[in-house]
Order: sequence, then C-alpha cells, then structure tokens
Amino acid sequence: MRFLRNIYAAFARELRRIWDFPSYMMLLTVLPVVSFAFFAVVFESGIPHDLPIAVVDNDHSSLSRKLTQMIDAAPETAVRYGITDMDEGQRLIREGKIHAVVLIPSFFEKNILSNTQTHVEAYVSGVNILTNGLISKDLQTTVTTFGVGIQLQILMKQGLTEAQAMSQAMPVRFDKHVLFNPYTNYGYYLSPSFMPMMIMIFTVLATVFALGSELRYSTAKDWIGSAGSSFGAAITGKLLPVFMSMTVMSLLMFFILFDIINVPLNGSFGMLFAGCLVFILSYMGIAVFVVAVTADLRLALSLGGGYSVLAFTFSGLSFPIMAMYGGVRIFSRIFPFTYFTDMIVDQALRGAPVSYSLPDMSYMLLFLLLPAVVLPRLYRISTDSRYWGKM
Amino acid sequence: MSKFRDTVRSYRRQLYAVMRNEYATIFSDKGVMLVMIFALLIYPTIYSLGYGAEVLRNVPVGVVDMSKTAASRHLIDAVGMGPNTVVAYELSDMTEAQRKFYDRDIYGILYIPNDYEQKLLGGQMATVSIYLDASYMLMYRQAFQEMVAGINTTGAMVEFQRLIAKGAHMPQAKAITQPVIYESHALFNPYLGYGTFVMPPIIIVIIQQTLLVGIGMIGGTWREHGIYGKLKPAGSRRMSTFPIVVGKALAYASLYAVTTFYLMTVHYRLFHYPMNGRTLTIVIFLAMYVFACIFMGIALSTLFRRRENSLMMLLWTSIPIFLLSGASYPSEAMPEWLRQIAYIFPSTHGAPGFVRIQSMGASLGDVWPEVRALVRLIVIYMGLSFIGIHFLVENDLADRIRHRWHRRVARNRIARESSQKA
Repeated sequence: MRFLRNIYAAFARELRRIWDFPSYMMLLTVLPVVSFAFFAVVFESGIPHDLPIAVVDNDHSSLSRKLTQMIDAAPETAVRYGITDMDEGQRLIREGKIHAVVLIPSFFEKNILSNTQTHVEAYVSGVNILTNGLISKDLQTTVTTFGVGIQLQILMKQGLTEAQAMSQAMPVRFDKHVLFNPYTNYGYYLSPSFMPMMIMIFTVLATVFALGSELRYSTAKDWIGSAGSSFGAAITGKLLPVFMSMTVMSLLMFFILFDIINVPLNGSFGMLFAGCLVFILSYMGIAVFVVAVTADLRLALSLGGGYSVLAFTFSGLSFPIMAMYGGVRIFSRIFPFTYFTDMIVDQALRGAPVSYSLPDMSYMLLFLLLPAVVLPRLYRISTDSRYWGKM
Repeated sequence: MSKFRDTVRSYRRQLYAVMRNEYATIFSDKGVMLVMIFALLIYPTIYSLGYGAEVLRNVPVGVVDMSKTAASRHLIDAVGMGPNTVVAYELSDMTEAQRKFYDRDIYGILYIPNDYEQKLLGGQMATVSIYLDASYMLMYRQAFQEMVAGINTTGAMVEFQRLIAKGAHMPQAKAITQPVIYESHALFNPYLGYGTFVMPPIIIVIIQQTLLVGIGMIGGTWREHGIYGKLKPAGSRRMSTFPIVVGKALAYASLYAVTTFYLMTVHYRLFHYPMNGRTLTIVIFLAMYVFACIFMGIALSTLFRRRENSLMMLLWTSIPIFLLSGASYPSEAMPEWLRQIAYIFPSTHGAPGFVRIQSMGASLGDVWPEVRALVRLIVIYMGLSFIGIHFLVENDLADRIRHRWHRRVARNRIARESSQKA
C-alpha cells in the first residue's frame, strides 16, 4: 500500500514536471497527433494517378494515335506532352516535368498492317523506382493489350470466330489474385510502418528526457525523495505518464490506420494492441538503458534518437531483409521495430493466426532485459551528485 | 569616416570571436559533434549498407501443379527461369501453400489446374492462377513480373507452334504472335537499384536535419550560457547582430563544406551511386542548399531556450520532410496545400534538384525553379535570422540590465539592514 502511495507521489510530481517543461509536454501530446495527422493526409489518397509522361509519335497514323490514347487512358500514366524528338524528351525528364518518354517508330501502322513485327520503346526514368514500377507496369499492360487487339483482328480476318481467335492469341491465360493488400495501395505499405516509427521516436525521447533531465537539472534527489526513497516506486511513477500517453497515442494511431486510411484489419486487434504495448515498453527500456550508460541528457538524446531513426531501413518493409547482406541481416534484429512491423503485417494485412505473432512478441520482451541489467547503475547515478548538472 | 572604420574593425573582431566560439562549442560538445559531424558519416554509411545489395533477386515462390505433365513442367521452368524468382517449393495443395505464405517461405504461388495440358493440346485456352503476397511491395513486384513473363513466354511459344503447325512461315507466325514488341529502358538507374534510388535524397535530407538540430543545440547553449554577454566587445553595450549571423553561418558552412565534400566524393564512390552531374553545377547548387539550411537553422535556433529542445522538437520531422521532398513518394499523390507548405523546407527543392543534377546530369538551367526557390529561402531565412538574433541580443541586454538592477537593489537592502542593526 505504501508502495502504491509512493508511486502516486512520484507520478504526481512527474505530471507537474511535464507542465513545467513545455517541450516535454509537446512530446507527449501535440507532436504525436500532428505527425499522425500528417501521415493521414499524405496517405489517404493512396495510389498516385496520372503520372506525366511524353510520347514521341514518329508515325502520325491512326494506329499510333490509338496507342497514344490508350496510354493516356491507363490509370497511372497521362500523356502530357506530344513531342517531336528524344532530345526534347530528355530535357523534359531532366527538368522533372515527365517521368518517361514512349517512342513510336515510323512505319508503325504500315508494318502492323503488312504483318511485319514492329516495336514500341519506352524510356522510363529509374531515379524513382516507385514511379518507374507504376509506369512500366502500365505501359507494358497497355502495349500488350494493344498487341492482342491487333492479333485478334488479324486472326479474325483469316476466318476465325472471336472465341477461336482469343484462344489462339492467348493460349495460356492467368487469373491474378493479389493477397493481403488487394489494391497494392502504397498507403497500406507505408503508413503502418511510419506511424509506429513516430510512436517509437516520441517514446524514446520522452523517456530519455524524463530520466536525463533529473540528472541535468540536479533534481534526482528530490525525485527519489518524492517516492519515499523507494527507487522502484520512483521509476514506476516517473515512467507511468510516458507509458500512458503513448498508449493513448497508439489507440489514436490504430483509429487513423484502420478507420481513416482504411488499412485492412484481417487478424486479431487484441494481439496487435498487446504487441504495441510491448513495443512501447521495449523502447522505454532501451531509453532507460541509454540514459543509465551515458548519464548525460543530451548525449543520451542524440544516441537514443539516432538509434531509433535507423530502425525503418532495417525493418524490411521497404527493402526486404532477405535481400540484404548477411551481416546487415543480423543488424536488423537489434530493433524491436523489426518485430513489431512483422506483427502488423501478420495481424493487420495477412490475418495470420495469433500464434504466428508470439515469437515476435517474445523477441520484443527480450529487450526489457536491457534496463534490468543497468538498474543498479541507474540507482547509483541518481543518488550520486557527481553525475549531476552535466550540461 | 573613422567611425565607419571603427565599426568595420569591431564587426571583424566580433565575427572572429563568434566563429572561434562556434568551433570551440562544436568540438567540445559530444552531443553536437554526434549530430553535426558523426551523423553525416554514420547515417549515410549504415543506410547505404542496408540498401547495399541494391536489387532483390530470387524471391521464393511455390507451385501447386495438379496437371503433372510435360506442358506444366515447361511452364514451371519458364517461371523459375528469370533472375528475380526461384521456384522454392512444389506443394501438394493450396492449404499447404497458405501455410508457407504465413511462414514467409514463399511470396507467390502458381496454381496449374489438372486440365492444363489437355486444353492446350485441344487448341483451347488454358487458365492458370497466380497468388501474390502484396504485403511487401518489392517482393510483390518481382514475383509478379517474373511469373507473368514466364506465363506469357509459354503462351507465345504455344501460339507460335500452333501457327507453324498450321503451315505459317516463321516471320509471319512471329508477327502474328507478337505484332508489337515492347522494350523498356530504365534511364539513370539501369538495374533499378534501391540504394541508387533512395540514398541521394536521403543524404540531402540528412544534411538539412543535422544542420537544423545542431544549430538549434548551439543556439540553446548561447542562451543558457549568456554568450551574448561574454562575447560583446569591450566598451560596447551589446553585440552587433550582423557579425553573429554571418559568423555562425560561415562556421557551419566551412564545417559542412568538408563533410559534404566527403559524401560527394568518397561515399558516392564507395557505394557506386550515379555521378552524372558537372562538378561546378553540384558545388554551386549544394552551396546554395547548405546556406538555405543554415539560415533556416539560425532562424529556428532563436526559438529554443534550452540546448536539448531542438533535438526533441525536430527529430521526428525527418521522415515527414523526406516524404514531402517528393524524391521517394511521388508528390503527385499529395494534396496541393501540403505541397505548398513543403515549400518552406530547403530539402523540398534541394532533394529533387540535386537528384536531377547528380543522377540525370541536369544543368542549373534545368533545375531553375529549384534554384530560384532556394535563393528565395536564403533571403527569407537570412532576414528572419537577423530579426531573431537581434531580439535575442536585445533581450540578453535587457536581462543583464535587469540582473544588475536586482543585484543593486539587493546590495542596497543588505546595506540598509546592516546599518539599521548597527
């Protein structure tokens, strides 16, 4: 009972400190909301449409115009410039006005009508592989559809019925089933990874500040004293506001993800939320570890912050871990974020059975060993004034 | 005239004092060193190592072959032939396939029904199914491309053989099978490497973010330590604004000239990123970019009262600012008003401009809109820096006068009290 009262005293003192340090308060309240709002706005529209491209039509025939129209009508590409040569196309690409140039050669129609193979060439900027992927896929599909249309006409001219011509032109057809993210929506890929990233950054910074500021402003004695000199109560009461705020923020995050951006939720929300709480705890643990080791607020902020922004690259969501070099693959395991994003993919997108997320959960729990190891040192630096007042 | 010379001399002395102080602060403070020097060496290296393999090959896919015939075998071989996928498992049914999906052992399935060969031999259309895991974008793309390519080649092969069997000539059969050949070339990044795509804009954003955070840290230090008072020239009441702003800017610019030079030469060569820009163009553009970031940093730093505030307030903005630059996520997909807000960040112009110069070989004329925006930002943020620093100096002066006044009042009181006691 006394222990609970001590926790409450440290908790109440921490709330007053949050009020006293505006930047600390911002980390726990305004900034997470602002960052979530940002991602909601950016990803709400989903897939980029009508990326500007140019067509060099050297044939000026009805068939080349037909192809140009089809390219323009395709969802991802829009023909914004009709140009006369490749030099102009290259200049437009360098100026950032278009992403690709399609070249239709002369004698395009004549070759097609005389049963001679012809070709269409596309030059797609590879500087951005996302737009490159969208445009290449669209162009490929459009030209293929155009080709099949021509084949059908040729075959039907030879006396085949439409069905016969179709099975002649496309002997092997395929049904495509896109699992887990049926619209291949970029928002669904990126927002479930960027928003937890924000939670992580704010958790780490707020935790580091909560502890580190006691050292920097030489108030550690007052802090431990407020909890009746019980170190356990002092640390629990101190970190409770951070944990509570981040719990509320994670609920807000899930609301925005599943109800505003409309990311599918195919698995267990309970598992996902439990995972998120462990995720928050694991990063609080890492932050405690960094403060205890450095005993210096600003160095701890730089190190903790620096460590947390690294996580995205190594989560495998953008560039798969499978493709990384061997040593780097091991490196990717030192971030709780990697496990949590696996959980999001499993529980939100894939709807995998809950048992698939248990290993990820236990890996994240392992990170809680870090603060446990350094607790004695944290106690020493919190009670020894030689560690205080470091600017 | 001599007054003017005095002012110039005083300004020069203050400028040197400011620059000396900035260098001393940077190199004596671990937190600042970490942000303004080591971050520029460490982050690009670690990120580049993460993306070092550049391309994703051999995505494992599974096959459920209900037909088990020569024709289906042929299709499976065609699907596994390309560099991007490998047929890792032949599975007996879809339930097994689903488990392999959840285990992350495969990222795509080719399902061949048992009437596959029969239909092909009968001159009919055979239908196969592909199932693709779209929860990882790159895996999806590689698996999809390769499976579709395999199916299409097989289909074209079958069609071609049928035409030949009917007595068509080779070129004629070819033209009917594929009247229009489509060829696609990826410009500037022929293998579509991931690192080649994201690293140039990431480096540009890192330059900006470390400058904003680092300058903010030092700005907070100035206020906490009352450096405005310590560095004021002897005999004058306060420091002048001009030497503070210019001295700070020159100190950071010289530091970043070294680190940016390292990134553009050593780092770029180590990781083989495209270097198609002309040296002079790159130097001019990056100099403008770095100054825009520096002045934005100085202007922002006047808002921070404590040294830790800049990191706490600005660290999270790195990802949003990276997205807003439009260099990775196409800005076409963002609402117009958000793009207008993004105008205030140098990286919004610096990242795409730099990528076009360095990766595509654009000239300054090709990136003119970006150049113009950077010049505007330099002017605006320089103005804001002067205003902000001016107020800080005035406040600092006011603070010192107030402190002196308080001390005098206190001294008088003590003197009065002691005289009363006596």
